[in-house]
Amino acid sequence: MFTSRFSVRSIFSLFVVVSLLLGVSPALAQGDEEFPISDEYAGTQIRIIAANHPWNNAIQRLIPDFEAASGITIRLESYFEDQLSQRLQIGLTGGTAEADVFMFRPLQEGLLFEKNGWVADLREFAENDEAWNLADWQPGPMGTVTSGDVLFGIPIVTERQALYYRKDLLEEAGIEVPQTLEELEAAAAALHDPDNGVYGIVLRGQRSAAVTQFSSFLYSFGGQWIDEEGNSAIGTPEALQAYEYYGGLLRNYGPPGTINMSWPQAIAVFAQGQAAFYLDADILYTNVTNPEASLVVDKVGFAPFPEGPAGRRPYSVTSWALGMNATSENKGAAWEFIRWATSPEIVRKMQSEFGQSGARSSVWASPEGLGGFPPDLAEAIVINGQTGVGFDRPRVIRVGEARDIVGLPIVVAIEGGDVAQAVEEAHAAFQRFLEQEAAEFGE
Amino acid sequence: MTDLSQATTPRPHRPLSRQAAMSKRRAQMRRISAESVRAVLLLVIIVIFLFPVIWMALAAFQTQIEIISPGWGFTPTLRNFDRVFSEYNFLRYMGNSFLVAAVSTALSLLLGLPGAYAIARFHYDWLGVVLLAARIVPGITFLVPWYILFSRAGLNGTYIALILSHMIVSMPFIVWVMVPFFEGLPIEVEESARIDGATMLGTFVRIALPLSVPAIMTATIMSFIFSWNNFMFSLVLSGDDTRTLPVAIFNFITYASIDWGGLMAAAVLITLPVLVITVFMQRYVVSGLTAGAIKG
Amino acid sequence: MATHRTTQTHTSLIHLRRRFQRLSFILPALIFVVVMMAFPVAYNGWLSFHEWTGSARRAPEYVGIDNYTELFTQSDRFFPAVKRTFLFTGVVVTAELVFGIGIALLLRDAFPGHTVVKTLILLPMVATPVAISMAWLLMLEPTIGVFNKILRDIGLTPQPWLGSQSQALWVLMAVDIWQWTPMMAMITLAGLLSLPEDPYEAALVDGASSLQSFFHITLPLLVPTLLTAVLLRSIEALKTFDIIYTMTRGGPGFSTETLNTLAYVRAFEYFRLGQAAALLVVFFAIVLGVSVIFIQMRRSVSMRQAL
Repeated sequence: MFTSRFSVRSIFSLFVVVSLLLGVSPALAQGDEEFPISDEYAGTQIRIIAANHPWNNAIQRLIPDFEAASGITIRLESYFEDQLSQRLQIGLTGGTAEADVFMFRPLQEGLLFEKNGWVADLREFAENDEAWNLADWQPGPMGTVTSGDVLFGIPIVTERQALYYRKDLLEEAGIEVPQTLEELEAAAAALHDPDNGVYGIVLRGQRSAAVTQFSSFLYSFGGQWIDEEGNSAIGTPEALQAYEYYGGLLRNYGPPGTINMSWPQAIAVFAQGQAAFYLDADILYTNVTNPEASLVVDKVGFAPFPEGPAGRRPYSVTSWALGMNATSENKGAAWEFIRWATSPEIVRKMQSEFGQSGARSSVWASPEGLGGFPPDLAEAIVINGQTGVGFDRPRVIRVGEARDIVGLPIVVAIEGGDVAQAVEEAHAAFQRFLEQEAAEFGE
Repeated sequence: MTDLSQATTPRPHRPLSRQAAMSKRRAQMRRISAESVRAVLLLVIIVIFLFPVIWMALAAFQTQIEIISPGWGFTPTLRNFDRVFSEYNFLRYMGNSFLVAAVSTALSLLLGLPGAYAIARFHYDWLGVVLLAARIVPGITFLVPWYILFSRAGLNGTYIALILSHMIVSMPFIVWVMVPFFEGLPIEVEESARIDGATMLGTFVRIALPLSVPAIMTATIMSFIFSWNNFMFSLVLSGDDTRTLPVAIFNFITYASIDWGGLMAAAVLITLPVLVITVFMQRYVVSGLTAGAIKG
Repeated sequence: MATHRTTQTHTSLIHLRRRFQRLSFILPALIFVVVMMAFPVAYNGWLSFHEWTGSARRAPEYVGIDNYTELFTQSDRFFPAVKRTFLFTGVVVTAELVFGIGIALLLRDAFPGHTVVKTLILLPMVATPVAISMAWLLMLEPTIGVFNKILRDIGLTPQPWLGSQSQALWVLMAVDIWQWTPMMAMITLAGLLSLPEDPYEAALVDGASSLQSFFHITLPLLVPTLLTAVLLRSIEALKTFDIIYTMTRGGPGFSTETLNTLAYVRAFEYFRLGQAAALLVVFFAIVLGVSVIFIQMRRSVSMRQAL
């Protein structure tokens, strides 16, 4: 089905269409002109706290060029996502302004950081920077890092949920790439062969980590986290279906121990050849195409998220952004780094060479924008982007707590417990949580 | 109890009466088979207690593939250790752990030794009770206010914060060990020194302390171990620069969840110092544990 | 007249000076206690009547006893955590006591290598809990861990261990028992060796078996020591944090969440500092209550024995 039948030309035109649909005029791709880097902050050192993430790995390789051109020294520390969040919160609350710049997740800590006044407003920097070009940024991603007039971050990674599959296993069994969730379940069942070390499917199963991946299933079954009145919406029959489906997949066709898995563990299972299917963020794909870490390098195929009863509604989000510490004493140098790391040239490199899709319209419009991805993944990205949902978790301020609440039924479903009961209780707890937040943060 | 190793070393038996001696000989027959049973049991017990430690050490020398594969054989490699030092910056964290442990122990001794002496000799019992409370109160009860207060004072992430927080464990422990010990010292020596014109401080420093060296050794070693192993306080109060080993390895779990070899190598490096201390200072560790428990 | 008064003043001055000297022994420790213990605890109590995210921008907000009401009536994680904390403590302390006595009995008599055995047994206790937890995580890993490897090799079903809501807490209990039984063993051993020998000789002459002499002579005499050991261990067990947080973070689901981990999560993951403070006050009360009970038991036993 999704073989490379599409020519480069048709991908390009599809892309223009998509860009128009997104309401953005395709800007001319910037040529290979040098992005101006100022050396007025030479001699300063800035500290960056980043997440363990392919984007981070990529930028580390490019940083020496920046340091040479600007004279600024970079100290970079990496943490896993959850620890990063905690580290930041503790550091920012505790007033230990440890970092000048940090990677953060706009959907996870963005609102909290903004409300607490921890992130600097970048609007002035951004508006006055011609070479950097504020207008080049896609409105969707920009929306997630804006609150009122405050621009509190610059998007660096956007992602959508893709279906990773084992081409060889599907071919052997004569199965087509699943287009719908029903077909996915059937295919996972057919390929589930634990005695020979292959499980049908692997997914994140840890209470909090699984929430974001589960969201696509929730939306595709017609459910949502919060309804229009601001009340909990996870008590609906659609949501229950989604929980049962997700948990059922792992319970019946997953490897042992999924309820403790976040993406490093889950993707490792797939990369070691022990699973036929894996669904997670598309930009993680380098972990399975890298010969040093993966045993299935040439056997991986990519497809868009399958359709559910309510259509194909995967998340399509800005997952990471760069922020500046509001109490940083090196704001000028910090902005110098941020503007370089998000400059057209670097974003293009990220997207075409390292597979980290950004949010610049010009880059998406250029041939390299999609060219860097494996062709089937590029198609998947486009298709996912068409009907994607802009958030993959409840839009609240205390996201960590919310995820713990709404993630519990997933665990129960994986273990084969009373899902309906768990969902009911989670629904009540989530409702209480929402009411509390409304009371506490007013507005 | 001036010789602390005595507490857990079996004493040689006194000579028995004839009747008892005869019963004993009968019992000796049973004893030989009992002894072999005991040897087996002890062997099993040692295996159970040492197994995780040994497994950890073995895995530290294996590559990822060897750890993951279902087989049992492997060829030892030092690459994990190399990685731990070069990529994960372990030497710095070891330095931090050592610094915090050494200074907090030293300060706790500085505060705790005179305090224990005063409780023993001058009967400030209430202070003893207060310090006992420090042992009962869950550490996190202190941690939350500390975190807030330290951040207001700009001390979060500094060595000072870490050292002070570790002292909350060491100092009460030192007092707990030293009070019964000081109480057990014969008071006549001190009294005669006082009569000869020695000051309170002089008596303390020149008479009581030198007699207490074994107990002080115990207190010091145990304090160092507690601080080295401390996790929760360091988790919250340490910064990127001042991070101690337990926190460093905790950050690995999720990052290096695939790098089991590195994780095990790091674990070996963290536990090695305390294990070595325990092996060579066994009597002090044992008396540190049993301190205060045996009083009749 | 004048001489008498001068002498009196002189004496009282000396007394005052002595008193001051004595106080100076405890002054540094006292300052530390006030600053690092009393004040924070009081602050925590104050905070428990407020709500705060810890941000400098938003000041703590007074909410009366709302945090406590929330804890006891609304929270669906508080009572389960209490139950789990007690279950965990009860099981591990009992197991450690029983195994500890057993090991102490084995070590009671001298034999070649006695010290070596004693030293080796100490190791689980001193090994850094976080680090040794990593080793346990590897051994318990469902696919590549050695425990399941062994189970598979001998034909039994591999277990999920920490990957199961029903098994995880028991697995953690096993780790704690592994870690702390040596302490109970050492304390019991010291207690055993401090017992007088006469009752045993008399019993031997009377033809008592070792089992009988154990239950009727040894055990009763050991009770004070055992009570102290149980008291010390229980206090620590109620507060277990390192192995739980490292190995499961309170999961899977919430099946290994105890009062200590719940308090930590509330304070440093959710940043509900007021609620966390309230929980800590309650937690402290619980630990204090348990301690008082054991101390009273110990006292009544000592008094009975002294008679």
